[in-house]
Amino acid sequence: MTTLFYLLAYLAIAGFFCLVFLKVRSYLRASPLHVRWELYPVPHEGAKTSYGGSFMEEKEWWTKPRHVHHLGDIKALITEVLFLRATFEHNIKLWFRSYPFHFGMYMLMGGTIIVLLAAFAQLCGASPDGGLMIFIGNVISAVVLVGSLCIIGGGLSLIHRRMTDEGLNKYTTPEMYFNIGVFVVFGLFGLFAWTGASSYFEMARGFLYNLMTFNFIPQPGTWFALHLLVGFFLLIWIPLTQMAHLFMKYFTYHDIRWGDEPTTYNERNKSIIPDALKYAVTWSAKHVTGGAGSKTWLEVATSNPAAPKND
Amino acid sequence: MKDNLLLSDVSTAEGQMTSVNLERIPVLPLDVGKMPWRPLTEEQKENTCCILDDVCVLNIPKPKNRAEEEELVNKFLSGMRKSFTKENNWAFLPILETSTDYCAQCNSCADACHLYEMSGEHDMYRPNFRSEIFRRIYKQYVKKEPLAKWRYGDMGLNWKTVARLGELAYRCNLCRRCAQTCPIGVDNGLIAREIRKIFSQEMDIHPRELHEKGTMNQLKVGSSTGMTPEVVKENVEFIDEDYAEITGIGIHTPFDVQGADIMLLHNAGEIMAWPENIAAFSLIFQEAGLSWTLSSKALAYDGVNYGIFYDDTQAARIALQHMLAAKELGVKKIVIGECGHAHKGLTVIADRLIPFEYQVPRESCYVTLHDVIMSGRLKLDPSRNDFPVTLHDPCNVVRLMGIVQPQREILRRIAPKFREMPCNGVNNYCCGGGSGFAIMTRNNIEEWRGNISGRKKMWQIGEAFKECLGPETKKYICAPCSNCKGQIREILEHNDLYAKNSFAYGGLVELIVNAMSNVKPGFIKWEDEEE
Repeated sequence: MTTLFYLLAYLAIAGFFCLVFLKVRSYLRASPLHVRWELYPVPHEGAKTSYGGSFMEEKEWWTKPRHVHHLGDIKALITEVLFLRATFEHNIKLWFRSYPFHFGMYMLMGGTIIVLLAAFAQLCGASPDGGLMIFIGNVISAVVLVGSLCIIGGGLSLIHRRMTDEGLNKYTTPEMYFNIGVFVVFGLFGLFAWTGASSYFEMARGFLYNLMTFNFIPQPGTWFALHLLVGFFLLIWIPLTQMAHLFMKYFTYHDIRWGDEPTTYNERNKSIIPDALKYAVTWSAKHVTGGAGSKTWLEVATSNPAAPKND
Repeated sequence: MKDNLLLSDVSTAEGQMTSVNLERIPVLPLDVGKMPWRPLTEEQKENTCCILDDVCVLNIPKPKNRAEEEELVNKFLSGMRKSFTKENNWAFLPILETSTDYCAQCNSCADACHLYEMSGEHDMYRPNFRSEIFRRIYKQYVKKEPLAKWRYGDMGLNWKTVARLGELAYRCNLCRRCAQTCPIGVDNGLIAREIRKIFSQEMDIHPRELHEKGTMNQLKVGSSTGMTPEVVKENVEFIDEDYAEITGIGIHTPFDVQGADIMLLHNAGEIMAWPENIAAFSLIFQEAGLSWTLSSKALAYDGVNYGIFYDDTQAARIALQHMLAAKELGVKKIVIGECGHAHKGLTVIADRLIPFEYQVPRESCYVTLHDVIMSGRLKLDPSRNDFPVTLHDPCNVVRLMGIVQPQREILRRIAPKFREMPCNGVNNYCCGGGSGFAIMTRNNIEEWRGNISGRKKMWQIGEAFKECLGPETKKYICAPCSNCKGQIREILEHNDLYAKNSFAYGGLVELIVNAMSNVKPGFIKWEDEEE
C-alpha cells in the first residue's frame, strides 16, 4: 500500500508535467501562425502603455527599429497573476472571493517549493534539526495555516456566490462546483493535518525526502496522507480542465492579446505565410471554393467568385 | 416568450424565444427615444427562422421538414468541425481554441458590454451567452468528450439551436470590449465572429448587406457602393468642383499617379454620403504639398472590407486587391482614410494573411494628418472652431490598434473647446453600428441600433456636452470613421437632435479644413445653416 502511495505521487508529478507539455504543444501546433489579434493597452509599448498607445501611432513606423519593453510585459503578467488585477478592476465582488482562493493556492504552491528546497538541502547533508530548518518549519507552519484557510474560505464563498448569483449560477456546471469543492477538501485535509501534527513541515519535508530517495515509508498521519492524495489528483486534474488557465494564460496574454509584432520585423513569419496559404480549404459555401471541393488558401484569395463566368 | 433565460432555451423554446422589454432600457440625459419593436409579419413567422427575439438579421429559411432540419444542424456541425482544423482556420485556430477551453465563467465580460447594459441587463446580451452555447455544442457534439454534459453543461442541438446561435452572432458589435476585461484572456467577440464565419463559409448564410450587396458587389464592380471606376472618377471630379466653390480653393484630386508617395484609400461610402470628407482630405493633402494619389482600379478606390465582419475568404480577397493596387502604383505607403474596419483589416489582419512581398506599408490617416498639422504645413485658425467638440474613438482604430493620441493632439491644436467623452481611448464604447450594423436597416435592426446598440454612445455624447446641452450652443461630434458616422447620423436624425441640441457630426478632416485660414469660413454646417 505504501509503495502504491509513492507510485501515485510519481505518477501525479510526471502526469502533471506531461499534460502541461501536451497542452502547450497542442497550442503551438494548432497553427503555424495566427493573425494579429492584439488588444490595447499592450504593456510592452513603453511610455505609450499608460494610455493604450502603440507603435502604429508613429509616422512610417516600419522604417524605425522595433522597441519591445519586456519589463512592461513581465510587470503586467506578475500583477495579473499575483493580484488578479483584471478581476479586481472589472469584477470586484468576485475578486473578494476569488483572490483569497488563489492566494491560498499560491501560498501552498510556494510552500511546496520551499519544502522541496529544504528536502534537497537535507539530501545534500544539511541537518534536519538545524536552526535554518527550524526557521523554515515555522514559516511553513504559518504558510500552510494561512493558505489552507484562504482556500477553504475563498472556495466556500466562491461556491456560495456561484449558487446564489443568478448570472453566475446559470453558467456554473457541476464540474465547476466539483473543482472548487476538491480544492476546499484539499485545504481542509491540509488544515486537519496541520492541526493534528507537531510539525507539518517535518511531515512534508520527510515525504519529499523519501520521494527523492525512493525510501517508501508510510505517512505519519492519516489526514496528511489524504491531503497528499487529493493533491495528487489535482496535479492530474488541473491540466485537464479550464483550470489549465494557470499556465495557458501566458499564451492568451503574451501571444494573443499582446502579440502585436508586425511581419516587417519577423523573418520567420515572412516565410510561414506563403506556406500557410498552401493549406487546402474545404469550406462548402459556393463563394469559397466555387464547387471545386478543395482549393488552397492562395487559390481562394486570388479567385473572384463575383467575376463574370466565361462559359 | 422567456423573460428569465436559460442557456438551454435556445433549443427548447417555441416561437420567438425572448424580447427586450423597452421599459427596462436606460433613459438617457439626451432625448433619445425608445423605438417600439415592429411585430414580425405572418410571412416571416411562417417562412424564416426569426425565432430569437424581435430582430432578424440572417433571414434563414425555415426548414420545411425533418430532413431540412437535420441538414441545417449537420451543416453547422460540419462547419464547426472545420473551424477547429488547421487547414481551414489556421489564422484563428489558437485563439478560438483558448477561448473555447479556458473560460472560467466568471462573467466579468458582461459589465463591459454596452449591449448588456443598454438592454437593461438582458441575459441574452451577456457576451458569454452565445459563447457558452457554442462551447457546449463543440464539447458535446463535435469533440464528444466523455462526461461532456456534466463537465460543460448540457445543450440540446436542433435546428432551433442552430438558427438562434446564428442570430446571436449578430447581436454583437465585435468591439471586443469584453475581451479587454477577461482575466483569462478569453475572447467572446472572436467566438461571435467565428460563428458568423461558420454560417457564411460553410452554410452560405450571411446578412445580404455584408455579402451580396457588400463583398460580392465589391468584387464584382469594384465597390460595395456599386460605383464602377468610371463613376468614382466622375463623382470625385464633381466633388472637386463643388468644394472648390465652397472653400474658395481649387481642388484637384489625383488618380493613378504612378510613383506617388501615398495611395489614399477612402471608404467609398464617403463619396456618396459625405463628399465633404473626400474634399477635405484632398484639400489638406494638396495644401500640405503631399505626393499622393487615389487609385481608380476596381476595389482599390474603396477601403471597405466587410469580410472582416463575417468571412475570412472574402476578407483575404479584398485585402489582397488593395495591396496589389498599391504595388502597381509603386507608392511608398497606403494611407487609410476615416474608416475603422479598413484600418484594422488592412493594417493588422492582413499583416499575417498576405505574403510579405505583396504588402505595402500602411499608415493611419490620423498619423499622416498629425504630421501635417504638427509640422505647420497648413495655416490654421483654431478660433474658427470655437465650439464644443468631442471625439468618438472607433474601436477598430483605438482599442484594436492602439492609435489614441495623434487624433487628440490634432484636436487640441485646432479645437479650443475639445473635451473627452467619459470612457474614452481604449476604454471607449462602440458607436452601435460596428461589425456591419451601420449599413443594415430592416427587421427591427434600426430599432435595435437606436434602442440598444447605439444607446451607450449617446450617453457618452450627452455626458461630454452636459453643460451645454440644448439648442443654444452649437456642438460637433467628431467621429472619424465612416460606419460610426452612419450610426451616429441615424440616431441624431431619428431623435431630431440636430435641432434639439444643435449637433453637427463629421470626421476629423472636416474640422481641420474648418480651421484653415485660407479656406472660406464655415466649412462645417449646422442644420440651420444648410442651404
